[in-house]
Amino acid sequence: MKSTPPRWAQRLLAWLHPANTLEEVEGDLDELYAYWHQRAGKTQATLRYLLNVLSVLPPFVRRRQQPHSYPQPSLFHPDMIRSYIKIALRNLWRSKGYTAVNVVGLSVAFCICLFLFLTAYRQFTFDSFHKDGDRIFQTYLFANDPERVSRTGGMPLPLMPALKADFPEVEAAARIMSGRTSLVEYRGKYVDKMVIQTDPDFLTLFSFPLIKGSSDVALRDLSSIVVSEAMAKAVFGNEDPIGKHLLIGSEGNKKQYIVTGIIADSPDNSSVHYDALVRIETAPNYQTDKDNWYANSHRVFIRVAPDVDQTAFEARLKPFAQKYFANTIQDLRKKGAKPDERSDVFAIRLQKLADVHFDRDISNGKGAPIALIYVLIGIGVFILSIACINFINMSIARSFTRAKEVGVRKSLGAQKHQLFGQIWSESTFICFIGFVTGITLTCLLLGTFNSTFQTKFTLTYAFQPGFIAWMVGVFVVVTFIAGGYPAWQMARFNAVEVLKGKVSLKRPGLLRNSLIVTQFTMSSLLACCTLIAIQQVDHLRQQPVGFDKEQVISIPVGNQVNGRQVLGRLRNRLTNDPTVLAVTGTSTNLGKGKDRVTSRSTFGFTYKGKQITTDWLLVDYDYLKTLDMKLLAGRDFDPAYAADSVNRVVVTESMAKLIDAKQPVGAFIRDDSDTTGAKSEIIGVVPDFQLYSVADEARPIAMHISNREDIHYVFVRVAPQSLAQSMDKIKKIWQEVAPQSEFLGSFLDENVDGWYQNEQAMSQIFSLAASIAMLLSCLGLFAIALLVIEQRTKEIGIRKVMGASVVNIIVVLSRDFVKLVAIALAIAIPLAWFGMQKWLDNYAERITISIWIFAGVGLASLLAALATVSFHSIKAALMNPVKSLRSE
Amino acid sequence: MRRTYLGEFEEIVLLMVAILDGQAYGVTVSQEIEQHTGRIVTFGTVHNTLIRLEEKGFVKSELGGATAERGGRRKRLFRVTALGSRALQDIQQLRNELWQLMPPQSLKLSGL
Repeated sequence: MKSTPPRWAQRLLAWLHPANTLEEVEGDLDELYAYWHQRAGKTQATLRYLLNVLSVLPPFVRRRQQPHSYPQPSLFHPDMIRSYIKIALRNLWRSKGYTAVNVVGLSVAFCICLFLFLTAYRQFTFDSFHKDGDRIFQTYLFANDPERVSRTGGMPLPLMPALKADFPEVEAAARIMSGRTSLVEYRGKYVDKMVIQTDPDFLTLFSFPLIKGSSDVALRDLSSIVVSEAMAKAVFGNEDPIGKHLLIGSEGNKKQYIVTGIIADSPDNSSVHYDALVRIETAPNYQTDKDNWYANSHRVFIRVAPDVDQTAFEARLKPFAQKYFANTIQDLRKKGAKPDERSDVFAIRLQKLADVHFDRDISNGKGAPIALIYVLIGIGVFILSIACINFINMSIARSFTRAKEVGVRKSLGAQKHQLFGQIWSESTFICFIGFVTGITLTCLLLGTFNSTFQTKFTLTYAFQPGFIAWMVGVFVVVTFIAGGYPAWQMARFNAVEVLKGKVSLKRPGLLRNSLIVTQFTMSSLLACCTLIAIQQVDHLRQQPVGFDKEQVISIPVGNQVNGRQVLGRLRNRLTNDPTVLAVTGTSTNLGKGKDRVTSRSTFGFTYKGKQITTDWLLVDYDYLKTLDMKLLAGRDFDPAYAADSVNRVVVTESMAKLIDAKQPVGAFIRDDSDTTGAKSEIIGVVPDFQLYSVADEARPIAMHISNREDIHYVFVRVAPQSLAQSMDKIKKIWQEVAPQSEFLGSFLDENVDGWYQNEQAMSQIFSLAASIAMLLSCLGLFAIALLVIEQRTKEIGIRKVMGASVVNIIVVLSRDFVKLVAIALAIAIPLAWFGMQKWLDNYAERITISIWIFAGVGLASLLAALATVSFHSIKAALMNPVKSLRSE
Repeated sequence: MRRTYLGEFEEIVLLMVAILDGQAYGVTVSQEIEQHTGRIVTFGTVHNTLIRLEEKGFVKSELGGATAERGGRRKRLFRVTALGSRALQDIQQLRNELWQLMPPQSLKLSGL
């Protein structure tokens, strides 16, 4: 009997030994077994056989390399490339519809992303152009007030010199005082310019390049002025401005300056804006306040030596604060202020220049909240991923129609990486078209975008290396995700199965469905958030402002004329006019007028040990009448009492409460430490009204009348009939009483709307994004539904033959998709509810989220999906079954 | 000197392939080594060496006809290539030259 080696060893060998040498090795080992068996017997033979089998198993065995039986042309062989291009173009042309859907989807998504990322990029690069920006800080005062923890960027004048004297590590420091624009006169030419008062260090601290003049001497004299390039052009034209004299200031208060330098314009993404720089010593309040540690008026920027650590330096500032702000600290302690986690009741702290823009507390509320920027980026990513999902879904769905091509290519010797390269480059090509179309679209829509959102983007802005790198990165990621995955899937097809026709009808269910769910989750999430945000903004706008904003015209006076004189002339002209009910003047506009200026003047004092900060509002007679405010107690200002225009105030209710007097009328307000006798008597109390936007902190208000201060705005209340006519009439009269000044009048209700401009712009962006997201999702669903229904043509035919009604078939076809959308809603709605609850908590006045929003969004998305799908399903259901069943 | 280096075992296997002259395959090579050198080597070692020699270009192989004793499986037959025979001759020549250089008494003194 012929003996054989153990079966299991043979199987092990067959299983593990490399396939291309298996046959000869099996034969050799069998032969050797027979030889050993004959020479040494069965046991010996079996043992040696096992040992030798082991010696030819991995990892011991060496693999024979498969010789290439065909030449392997390079992937980039010209013939192959020509073939790829030809096939790609044919494919794209044959599936025009899908190509179009893809290109449109991607280009819209890219376009939106470009805008959103541009906005975000601008915000993130704020102040990033300064050399050594990581060593520049803005100082702020921190007070752990038990009523409200406060951080303020306003500094007293003596702080900066003391800081520089006490700390050698402060390399450079500059105070920056900026407010409203000043009137600049040069040889009879008048312009309004932002002249900021600062220190000579400004030129070395920041990196605004000096075009003419030297940074050491340009601001050496108190009469020096450094003008910006744009201002030099506007004022001097082609003349050389150096050494020329400028007059700055309003009438009766003019000061002469000599131009000593030209500085580059401040970039759009700078926290510090200027048209011209002068010495801070020229500021009107400098002489009175230069040693006053309690009058906060300006921002201070410092640059520290290279190796100074921020926390360590802040620790060193503690004794400094205790030395100079002893009174403040004492007052805070009296109020019961406790040290915070850094054991400070009151401290001078530093904010990094890079973060100043995002810190609304210390940058006069001009900064952008950083969360908003992340939201913008998030929306961009959402939309981009929705477009990517469309792309992936369609590529995968369509890959089954191309499976044959892959099979044939594979059997002709195409390698996996070649196929991957081919298919991937096709997708990249489509992405590229989408990208270029998107960029074109962006260029075309830039103007509309700028005017809608009050931005000043130009094309050159987008062509910064950082931004280009960012967008190219986005593009590469998109091509990798959207093109790479389907290409990888297709390259993996098994050639034999594909050519047998086995793969073509397999449904790529789970992935596709989860992608569709993701899409609809994102778009309904956006839709819910948008609706809630819009409702909240509307709610804010409908808040009572405390005065009657209808029928009041607000006119910015401008610097060219004296506001008080103009107001007087206007009063005379209008006093007998029956359509004009009241005229008054003030220092602060209500809302945002056509001059877009907002200013705020506050007055802080300690009253019976209590720190009080109020808005210090300059008004004129008839202010209450013009704005239709009712007095709660006391009386209005009256020209009959001479003292009214000196030291009497009308305050709001919350101010009266703070004073805490039983009888607020007749009480005096003044600082406890002030012994000079300057005190203001309260003569009237009005209800609280809104002087600034809800986004800004509301303070109690004290109104006063003073002949020494300038009137900047004139308010005119007109009769309710014929508002437009009144506006025209006032304009005409204005041109007579103030011919030098441009008429920029607007109605107060429009101005008040301007307060919510940011919120409004946001809700516009949100609505746009939400509708585009929804549209793109439906576009994707549209294409997928078409493909699925095409694949199910036969099934529909059979169903019809068996007696299904048209409605039945539509239900069958739509059910799957509607189910997906329902799942998406189930995910999106709780997320939206939770997120928006958190957001609404930020507002004092908030809406309650109504269940109907979610119901509405849910219904709308379901209907949208249903409508998209039924476009195809109705067509399919109406088709003649004879046709669909006959086709093969 | 040529770059390709022949290991000691590789040289033996190559010599065996040359000796077997067309009849060399896994079984015969291992049997010959066992008979002529007395070394018992595993089949895997021979298999790997043959593949390595073929990669170096010293032998070439082709699949031979099937025989009944191997269950109808074909064997892979190896032959020495021109490069292989050159390598063997070079080694032989080098050894001869080295023998010539050896002083006659050196081996005797070493106590052989």
